[in-house]
Amino acid sequence: MYSDFLRDYLIVVFFGILAFAVVGAFIGLASLVRPDRPSEAKNTAYESGVDPVDGGWSQSQIRYYIFALLFVMFDVEAVFIFPWATRLEEYGMFGLVEMTIFIFILALGLGYAWRKGVLRWV
Amino acid sequence: MLIAQEFVRPIIDWHGVAPELTLLAIGAMVTLVDIIWNEKAQRIIPTLTGLGFLAALLPVLTLWSDRDELPRVMWDGAYVVDEYSLVLKGLFLVSAYVVVLLATNYMHDGDYYEGEFYQLVSASVVGMLVMTSARDLISIFVAIELISIPAYLMAAWRKRDLKSNEAGLKYMLMGVFASALMLYGMSLLYGFAGDTRLAAIAPALRSSESIPLITLAVVFVVVGFGFKVSAVPFHTWAPDTYEGAPTPLTAFLAVASKAAGFVALMSVVIVAFPEQSGVAEPLLWVLAAVTMTVGNLIAMRQTNIVRMLAYSGIAQAGYMIAPLAVFGDVPSSAARAIVIYLVIYAAMNLGAFAVVITAARKTRSGEISSYGGLFQYAPGLAVLMTLFLFSLAGIPPFGGWYAKYQVFLVLVEPATTAGYVLAAIGAVNAVLAAFYYLSIMKQMWFMPEPNGDHTRVQITPSLQAALAITAIVTLVTGVLPGVIPDVGDLVVALP
Repeated sequence: MYSDFLRDYLIVVFFGILAFAVVGAFIGLASLVRPDRPSEAKNTAYESGVDPVDGGWSQSQIRYYIFALLFVMFDVEAVFIFPWATRLEEYGMFGLVEMTIFIFILALGLGYAWRKGVLRWV
Repeated sequence: MLIAQEFVRPIIDWHGVAPELTLLAIGAMVTLVDIIWNEKAQRIIPTLTGLGFLAALLPVLTLWSDRDELPRVMWDGAYVVDEYSLVLKGLFLVSAYVVVLLATNYMHDGDYYEGEFYQLVSASVVGMLVMTSARDLISIFVAIELISIPAYLMAAWRKRDLKSNEAGLKYMLMGVFASALMLYGMSLLYGFAGDTRLAAIAPALRSSESIPLITLAVVFVVVGFGFKVSAVPFHTWAPDTYEGAPTPLTAFLAVASKAAGFVALMSVVIVAFPEQSGVAEPLLWVLAAVTMTVGNLIAMRQTNIVRMLAYSGIAQAGYMIAPLAVFGDVPSSAARAIVIYLVIYAAMNLGAFAVVITAARKTRSGEISSYGGLFQYAPGLAVLMTLFLFSLAGIPPFGGWYAKYQVFLVLVEPATTAGYVLAAIGAVNAVLAAFYYLSIMKQMWFMPEPNGDHTRVQITPSLQAALAITAIVTLVTGVLPGVIPDVGDLVVALP
């Protein structure tokens, strides 16, 4: 029984070793094969071919973050409403009530943001 | 090509899901009140949320009185309301109510966001209610995320304090990591069984030879839950998170959130893995033994009371995992012992946190040394703390002894060497734990007040209520342990 148990868990150990070995092998192999000629231009951030301006640690407006969050809310709404709308007749009254509840809960989020003054671009 | 399948309206047992729906409605209502009255509503929102938790308790009670109808099985066995889930729903709602009582003054005096805090607590508790009934990998995962995500936010609630930011970030990173591990295990399980329902996974795992895939799945799922219940060696987030988070939330994490992790672990292990007990039991045995011992050893060296309670909570989690180490032979008694432990642990640990929060209103400190002279200026508080600490140490006649007694009974029931050894480790740990619980008592009863300040501690009505509820439950469960309802067997069959 105990040898069975140990054999079972040996698999887990092998699995872990394999995970490290595969990653190590790929990175190690790549570092052996690839040419190594570092240059100034190669170390700059890649900005789709345009020369980057300033450092990577610049501050951005916190307001964009809040709008991004609100966007997520509408995005989720759309993801669920579109499939529902294509089969609207099939779902009938049941689907309508379910969707109303769903939209109501999301609307609460919007109402909350509105009330707390998040929507104002100060 | 699109195949138009006819839509079949799912049959919903409205009475069965009434507790969850009630709480959802209450959460929406609290948000609505916050939207309409904004600043003016902040004082009534805690009361409203607290009453909401009690209101959601009503359908739980009606379901309990209608016990002949149980189990109510919905969605082809993915959602089950049985005695086990009802007892736990009651536990979560009452614990959440006590947490609201603890938070009321803390949140107001500290000038933290109030309305949002209670809305997030309600969301988290909805997840816990779902968790008790979830018998399906997907609903378990959704429930665990619904519990955790609001908790990540609330851990960072004291946003002007760096420690609280650290608490939230660490909790989130480790929680997400655990979720990933758990999902990986679940995906292996689904790949093997072809079904997400736990009761359908169990027969698929029936096999005499060892299959590596199953072992991997079991290990990943158990490790994932190990993070959620802060079992050693997956406990590293707990002390920092507990110390940095607002103390009422720490109480919530240490009791309700941890209990929810145990409910998930219990449902999955007992319902889905009975055929693989040979694989799961040794892993859980090691987890239980290591968790108890390491938790207790580190707790001894703590100087901050919240950190000490965090490590003591880790050690207590070890006792709660222990019955699962023999679940293959005695699944029902294991579930029963864990539920009893969870109920009593919730009462005594919330009580200890209530005393910590109350004392901190005067001392403004979480150091154990600041408890000197507590008996002189707040004798009632010192007596209550003694009660909770005795209970945590497992000394009769307070609840804790009965919880530990049940765990030991289950461990010796199958009469195996593994069970006896784990029981012995548990007994040694009970002695270790008594050491640090008693050292706090020494501080409270025999040491002088460090600043010579003997003004009384002001105990607000909500804290009085919290202390009273937890003290009564701790006492009653110790003297009359029969009052804890029997959870019966978990429903394991498909409809």
